[in-house]
Amino acid sequence: MKPAASVLLLTTSTGFGFGLLAWLGAYAALGLLPRAPVLVAAGIVIALIFTSTGLIASMFHLERKERAWRAFTQWRSSWLSREGVAAVLTYPVAIAFGVAFWRGGPPLATRLLGAATLLASLGTVYCTAMIYASLKPIRQWHNAHTAPDYLLYAVFSGAVLFATLRTAALGEPGAMASAAAAAAAAAALLAKRAYWRHIDAQAPLATLAAAIGLPQGIEARPLDAPHFSENYILRQMGFAVARRHAAKLRSLALLIGFALPLALSVLGALAPAPMLATTLALACAALGLALERWLFFAEATHVSALYYGRRI
Amino acid sequence: MSTLPERPPGAKRLGLVIDLDTCVGCHACAVNCKEWNTGGEAGILPDYDKYGPEPDGVWFNRIHSYETEEGGCSRTVNFPRSCLHCEDPLCVTVCPTGASYKRAEDGIVLVDTDKCIGCQLCSWACPYGARELDEKAGVMRKCTLCVDRIYDESVPQEERVPACVATCPSRARHFGDLADPESEVSKLVRERGGADLLPGLGYRPTNKYLPPRRARIPTAPAKPPAPGAKGIGAALLGLLDKALSR
Repeated sequence: MKPAASVLLLTTSTGFGFGLLAWLGAYAALGLLPRAPVLVAAGIVIALIFTSTGLIASMFHLERKERAWRAFTQWRSSWLSREGVAAVLTYPVAIAFGVAFWRGGPPLATRLLGAATLLASLGTVYCTAMIYASLKPIRQWHNAHTAPDYLLYAVFSGAVLFATLRTAALGEPGAMASAAAAAAAAAALLAKRAYWRHIDAQAPLATLAAAIGLPQGIEARPLDAPHFSENYILRQMGFAVARRHAAKLRSLALLIGFALPLALSVLGALAPAPMLATTLALACAALGLALERWLFFAEATHVSALYYGRRI
Repeated sequence: MSTLPERPPGAKRLGLVIDLDTCVGCHACAVNCKEWNTGGEAGILPDYDKYGPEPDGVWFNRIHSYETEEGGCSRTVNFPRSCLHCEDPLCVTVCPTGASYKRAEDGIVLVDTDKCIGCQLCSWACPYGARELDEKAGVMRKCTLCVDRIYDESVPQEERVPACVATCPSRARHFGDLADPESEVSKLVRERGGADLLPGLGYRPTNKYLPPRRARIPTAPAKPPAPGAKGIGAALLGLLDKALSR
């Protein structure tokens, strides 16, 4: 599948934003947030900047942006519509939570608003993941890995972002935030490797013979294509990345996206320069996740490419 | 609405039955489809770089040719590919705006291009590659089963069939109600073993494809020429052959 810049930015940037909101909400719900209103207020503003960047980027994927409001109407059936509704609903919840914390509102109300922020944020990420996981013609997406993986990458990117912000506000990431970032990085790394093992072991979804309705036992191969220049279907669904390139990019994504942030999160808790370590961890995570997301699209194959004799 | 409609009892399932045995791969159906849907009531289908080196454009129907192999012999199978008007069309349910919909009364899957935002998710959801983006208007286009023709009472009754069916010179395309077991198309499907494309994916396509008939006469595969004999006699004959072939 063609990796469009708008969709890569949408999924990674909202992952950071909603991931950070989820951590702020979770810590607040458990009563574990340090009494530092600046950290929470700045955290929520920065998280919403990340989510807004992603959502605005997604608009660039639309051919008719002026009609985008219509995408909020079909939440009964469409995960894309649900994503839009969930994203918009998360904003007032997160803002109410931030205001309650800033004003030192009633502890129970603040905790409940924190829990609501956590649920709304992860709910939105889940909707995003299900857009891809529900597409039956793409075996690399329509599987049990996609939804949990998206949640995990959002939790991981949010944890790294939270550790950086906590260091900026309080001078150190703190043992809990560092441990959370390191653990999330390790879990994300293992999940990504498990996903790659899974898609490498999958059989193609169908044979060309089944795609053209031939009885079993007959083999088919392409003879003449319907047209002699690329069309929309081939540009979108026929995108392919060379295997040897993919292997190199996978190693790079694991190293930059997960292994380095893991090591830097540990360093941030122990070393004398926590700001440098956490900022580097954040930069690596952003770069690595963008690369990982590019591969998520580029390595995905679509059944319809079979009609053109492509490998799926 | 992107949710699938309640189909009233006795609702029609209009669709095509395409005979892969008699399709000659002439592309007439694709050409007449393009002509009707560009010039007919439904609007225009764009072409890009029409007379340039990379001509491209939106077509509802694409004709592939494949080679199949059975018992050591190969044969050509021409395969027209268009929207199958599925009973479980994921392209409809993923639509965030309700632009894509399935009609309750006859099962035709359509795009309301006044509502489409061009997010293209429907084209990702279709395993048959039946939806193509109109890059000029920024909306998705697809086969309408010539809905503007099959119900048009100003068109003579016998011509109220999709343009692709009307033009097919080898009568490989049939149009009718697949919900009615006594319709001509349903009979054809029964008699000829009409098949669903990619049944494993669960889209329950309405359109059916009749597989090519099996050859009834034994057709031996072409044999490679026997290798030449060895020995002095054969070498002399070889020299003679060369000399005479000059």
